[in-house]
Amino acid sequence: MTDDVTTQTPVDRQALRAEVQTKYREVAEMPDADFHFHTGRFLARHLGYDPAWLEPLPDPAVESFAGIANPFALRHLEAGERVVDVGSGAGFDTFVAAGQVGSEGAVVGIDMTPEMLAKSRRNAELVGADNVTFRDGYVEEMPLDDGWADVVISNGVFNLCPDKKAAFDEVFRVLTPGGHLQFGDIANNNPVPPEAMQDIDLWTG
Amino acid sequence: MLEAVGFEAVQIGPPVDTFAGAGGEDKARAYAVFGYPFLARKPR
Repeated sequence: MTDDVTTQTPVDRQALRAEVQTKYREVAEMPDADFHFHTGRFLARHLGYDPAWLEPLPDPAVESFAGIANPFALRHLEAGERVVDVGSGAGFDTFVAAGQVGSEGAVVGIDMTPEMLAKSRRNAELVGADNVTFRDGYVEEMPLDDGWADVVISNGVFNLCPDKKAAFDEVFRVLTPGGHLQFGDIANNNPVPPEAMQDIDLWTG
Repeated sequence: MLEAVGFEAVQIGPPVDTFAGAGGEDKARAYAVFGYPFLARKPR
């Protein structure tokens, strides 16, 4: 496997952020549009999410889900844990995490796309998730104190970060010693040519 | 890179054919792209 998550890439960070924001604004506002990836409840079932967590959630909390894999596949969260969902989108994984950690736990979702943040906050009210908050921020600059989190989750976000090391360094900073990083993301088994790595359109589509 | 940053006990779960049937399937096939769950721990 060529570890796509761990590769430094020569694209402009600000330009890529703008491109990602444009794409995910569309996913927030038009979740049933034709994207290069699946979305919503179909995708969550396809990725193997436990129906017990998926099915009770209302459609607005699921329809803009655009993850890559199941971040809960290798470890179930424990009651009372403090969790950060990096790139939380409209909040689907955040709400699954909130259910797993329960009322003694807390989940902070962080996203950089205003339309996703607004939708996630509306969804928190709809779901009645009292242990969830959403904050504006970037993977590489999370608005959290050192060691705040027992767990950092993420789904399909690190592959969109041009500086993977900076992103993982930031995750390491916000985790408490003994804390877990659990995420879903892509990896390629065939090499990607350098010219393709510099094509910003290929990063999001 | 996860180990280089300082994480330990890194695990990678089974692949999932994330883009099967989606618009991006052709590009995913070209580079053999799959989704994976990852797990790692910050040392105590």
